[in-house]
Amino acid sequence: MHRSSSTSPLGRGTGSPTNRPMTAMRPDALPYLGYGLGLRVEYYEALLASPPQVQWLEVVSENYMVDGGLPLTWLERFRERFPLVMHGVSMSIGSTDPLDQDYLARLAALAQRIEPAWVSDHLCWTGVQGVNLHDLMPLPYTEEALDHVVSRVKHVQDVLKRRILLENVSSYVSFAQSQLTEWEFIAEVAERSDCLILLDINNVHVSATNHGFSSSDYLRGIPVSRVQQFHLAGYEQGERLIIDTHDAPVSNAVWALYVEAVRRFGRVSTMIERDDHFPPWADLLAELDHARALAEPLLRDAA
Amino acid sequence: MSALQQLQQQMLQAVMGGATQAHMIEVRGDVVADAQSRLDIYRHGYRVRLRDALANEFVGLQSIAGRRFRALLDAYIDTHPSEHYNIRWYGSRLATFLDNTHRQTPQLAEMARLDWAISTAFDAANETHLSAGELAAVPPHAWADLRLSLLRDLQVLPCTCNVDAFRRAADNGSERPHLRRYAAPRHMLVWRLDTQVHYRRLEEDEWQVLSAAQHGAPFAQLCATLAARHGETVALPRMVALLQAWLSAGLVHGLGTAA
Repeated sequence: MHRSSSTSPLGRGTGSPTNRPMTAMRPDALPYLGYGLGLRVEYYEALLASPPQVQWLEVVSENYMVDGGLPLTWLERFRERFPLVMHGVSMSIGSTDPLDQDYLARLAALAQRIEPAWVSDHLCWTGVQGVNLHDLMPLPYTEEALDHVVSRVKHVQDVLKRRILLENVSSYVSFAQSQLTEWEFIAEVAERSDCLILLDINNVHVSATNHGFSSSDYLRGIPVSRVQQFHLAGYEQGERLIIDTHDAPVSNAVWALYVEAVRRFGRVSTMIERDDHFPPWADLLAELDHARALAEPLLRDAA
Repeated sequence: MSALQQLQQQMLQAVMGGATQAHMIEVRGDVVADAQSRLDIYRHGYRVRLRDALANEFVGLQSIAGRRFRALLDAYIDTHPSEHYNIRWYGSRLATFLDNTHRQTPQLAEMARLDWAISTAFDAANETHLSAGELAAVPPHAWADLRLSLLRDLQVLPCTCNVDAFRRAADNGSERPHLRRYAAPRHMLVWRLDTQVHYRRLEEDEWQVLSAAQHGAPFAQLCATLAARHGETVALPRMVALLQAWLSAGLVHGLGTAA
């Protein structure tokens, strides 16, 4: 498999800042990929030129879980140029419906086909009773939900034959029956099921603002060794709450939280996730450069 | 039923517009926003997402329905929960829904059916297609029993009006055409050649022969069908012309013979 990226797929322990605990250096550690983007049709042509700032791409799994045609043709082109990771939106790991075995089989087949560096989805549920809401619905943070999610993550990891990453979602509701904080819940899921975490910095900020908790407390509650990837994105200010739209530039508040996250978690593969209101290509690259400019001095100092 | 299952079912009902209120699911409210307005974000997002997904797939329907389009989508959303993990499949029952709810305006269902056929052809399984050279290699004695194996995902749709013109105008951003009803029902062919989806109206004789080929009729029978319609002298050149068109459009996947 040809990879033209300038990034060596170094193990997580190699070249990582010294503040990362030794537990990160497990033999099956996933590679550090650098700074990347979400693959979106709007940027296909620009990405084919293999801009050096973009070191890897995240693809939405469901868009390529198809039988043939143009999507897979494009995907093969990008696979020749970039390291890829797969990011799904439909696993519904927290649902009380049975896991969709057809979905998992197709996901596994795609992973086998494109050999992504890793596979991720969200810590949420997307539907129940056979109905899909196509939204990332929050869970109650209870022991019951924890046991339920952990057993399902283990099953998925068995099917995919790899550890998965779960992403924290933005939320607008919380439930009276919750016994744990969100960060305690996600940390417990990761530890008990031996999965990894995709930390969406924007989502931490959105949920912290909407629920009135401290985003710094959140970061401090997440185990360093579990964080494999960062998402950066923008949000929209609603009437009373902030809405995770992923359709705006990364806000100053999220950049500040990103700096805090780099200080805590060290060298973590980072990407801008833009889902709508696509800006000019140069603006998106400038955002990615900004992430790099914020993180690299901190990482050098820590080394 | 577990507490988690109960919460998810109540939340589902609340988001889909049921009577479930925030206090029934023990959603917390605070000074920033009360519980109901928090829940309303999910409720609003649900409808917007489904509407957007349909609008992406049904650009021809949007053109032909005009100002009625949004109401059509909302009526569909109100009666059709999404059951597929990928929102891209949400519109699979829209044409049938329009068949049942808009019998006086069949162009709506026909348009939805063409939009959907284009959408599903886009990422259908890849298939190889037969070249003219491969067909030319068939020995003369074998032609009578020859069966053309057409693309598996080739679709033939009946239509009573010029829905293809609406789709074309929508794709090209050109002026919306006038609705034109045909004197007799016709058929629309939808297929994909490599990565490009195509659609075109079929002539009546072409539809007859193509249908026969799809049902496994041997080449002699295809010619007989044309002869019955046009007479012997016209049938063969017409068959040759159709074959050439089908080959260059990539409609023929392979060849077989009578069992």
